[in-house]
Amino acid sequence: MTTPTLTLAAHSLRRIRPIVVGMAIVLGGFQFLLTQVAVFLMRNRAFGMLASLVPDFIRSLAGPSMVAFMSFGGVVSLGYFHPIVLASLVGLAIAVATEPAAEAETRFGDLLLARPVARHQVITRTVIVLTAVVAALLLVMTSATWGGLACCTPATAARPTFALIRSLAVTLGAIVLCWGGIALAVGAAARRRATAVGITAVAALASYLLDYLGRVWDPARFASRLSPFHYFEPMALLTGGALSGSNVGVLLAVAAAGTAAGYAIFARRDL
Amino acid sequence: MGAPAIRIEQLGKRYRRVTALRDVSLEVASGEVFGFLGLNGAGKTTTIRILLDLVRPTTGRAFIFGLDCQTQGLDVRAQLGYLPGEPGLYGDMTGEATLDLLAGLARFPVDPRWRRSLVDRLELAAADLKRPLREYSTGMKRKLGIVQACQSDAPLLVLDEPTEGLDPLMQDVFYALVAELRARGRTVFMSSHVLPEVERICDRIGLVRSGELVLVSTVADLRSLAGRRVRASFAESVAPPTAWPDGCDVIAVSPTLWDLRVRGPLGPIVARLAALPVADLDVQMPHLEEILKTYYADSPAA
Repeated sequence: MTTPTLTLAAHSLRRIRPIVVGMAIVLGGFQFLLTQVAVFLMRNRAFGMLASLVPDFIRSLAGPSMVAFMSFGGVVSLGYFHPIVLASLVGLAIAVATEPAAEAETRFGDLLLARPVARHQVITRTVIVLTAVVAALLLVMTSATWGGLACCTPATAARPTFALIRSLAVTLGAIVLCWGGIALAVGAAARRRATAVGITAVAALASYLLDYLGRVWDPARFASRLSPFHYFEPMALLTGGALSGSNVGVLLAVAAAGTAAGYAIFARRDL
Repeated sequence: MGAPAIRIEQLGKRYRRVTALRDVSLEVASGEVFGFLGLNGAGKTTTIRILLDLVRPTTGRAFIFGLDCQTQGLDVRAQLGYLPGEPGLYGDMTGEATLDLLAGLARFPVDPRWRRSLVDRLELAAADLKRPLREYSTGMKRKLGIVQACQSDAPLLVLDEPTEGLDPLMQDVFYALVAELRARGRTVFMSSHVLPEVERICDRIGLVRSGELVLVSTVADLRSLAGRRVRASFAESVAPPTAWPDGCDVIAVSPTLWDLRVRGPLGPIVARLAALPVADLDVQMPHLEEILKTYYADSPAA
């Protein structure tokens, strides 16, 4: 690792520290509170009542995942697949990954690259910051979940295993990094950060909806394989399935391909 | 003899249908202060950005101290300080943090005494450096830009419109700084459209127009090429000569006033005037502005 890369990474981390700390507090707090919500529901024997409120046709449509969700472990794990949490983490990843576009737009990149700084070091910096931020947030989330379970849940509760929490965090991290890699490729080519963020965000929304259609509508099932969200299956983990190496592999491969494209595009473009 | 500070060979740059630079070749000697002139959009900034490898040329090559700006870009950029025309500074960073970050990216450590001297000369108070850049005026940002460009004391300074936004007193400080840098053997390549400034501090100039280099000259040669303006007024009416000495162009002639442009020695016209009732004689050196305006005005095909 070269000094300019680390200098740039430290600078970027300093600049985004307030938003990362803010998200860590919110997401960590949410994970902790979910453990307490699960305890509250358990003590009030509400899981069975909640399940009975769900109409049969929805239960059959959703399959065993609905039952899994209406459980102590399901409520505790909610933060690892809740759409708002997912959207906020993907949004943060997109914002971090499009920093090269922001630097080109503001011309701050001119000052950086007028020094003995190679273009690939700018992209490597972004990869380091992206990975560090996602890892830190997932670490906070899992710590908050585990802390909440360890300190404040009765021994009789059907606590999710540490392996399950870890697998949920890994699959969440993989989908977030996947979109980070795509944003990096777009951001390496864009002249304006807003353009890069807009393109990637619209692509993420479209692929989320495509995956949703594929799950509920047979004709869209094949096309939904094109969506990265197709390979994000936390419900399978909740229903007792093992972490799918191939799913995580596909997501990380897309992230790697986006990153490689980012390196190639940024090395060739005019700034 | 070492390699020139800058060597540009048949440089060209096209952006889709727009030709920004066409076949520009140029050499800037080490230790020289070179003014790169042209109207807005003439190709000055594109040339500078190619030197920094921010923009890739369509044709030709550029070298700094003999190193290829594209293939040896890191070594090239280790030897230069750059002031952009529009420095992109983050408003939430302080002046000091910005200088520290950019100093940290230099290949060689920045001498804090030299930086302090730059900061003091440009009258950036210590308290100013602790403030976020969003609170800086345009002039203060420019001063900070000059400090960041000069702080690594690089052998070559590339300055894009360096005095834009500086007040006249600070412009004088900047001119003194450039003179000192030249005395220390540094090379300065600066783009400008402020002609009196170029006239004052540059050894040579190059002028780009519509992407083409149309003139490279020393300031002194350019002045002699343009000639001096001679205005003679007479105490009584005189008849104009039937033939003027070589090198004399008539601007205006009346019985009591001759207004001439004289290229070359003044002797012949002074000899002619000596026999006449001269009331007043005014000889003006030409301003670069007057000379260059003719180049600016000419069409590329002219």
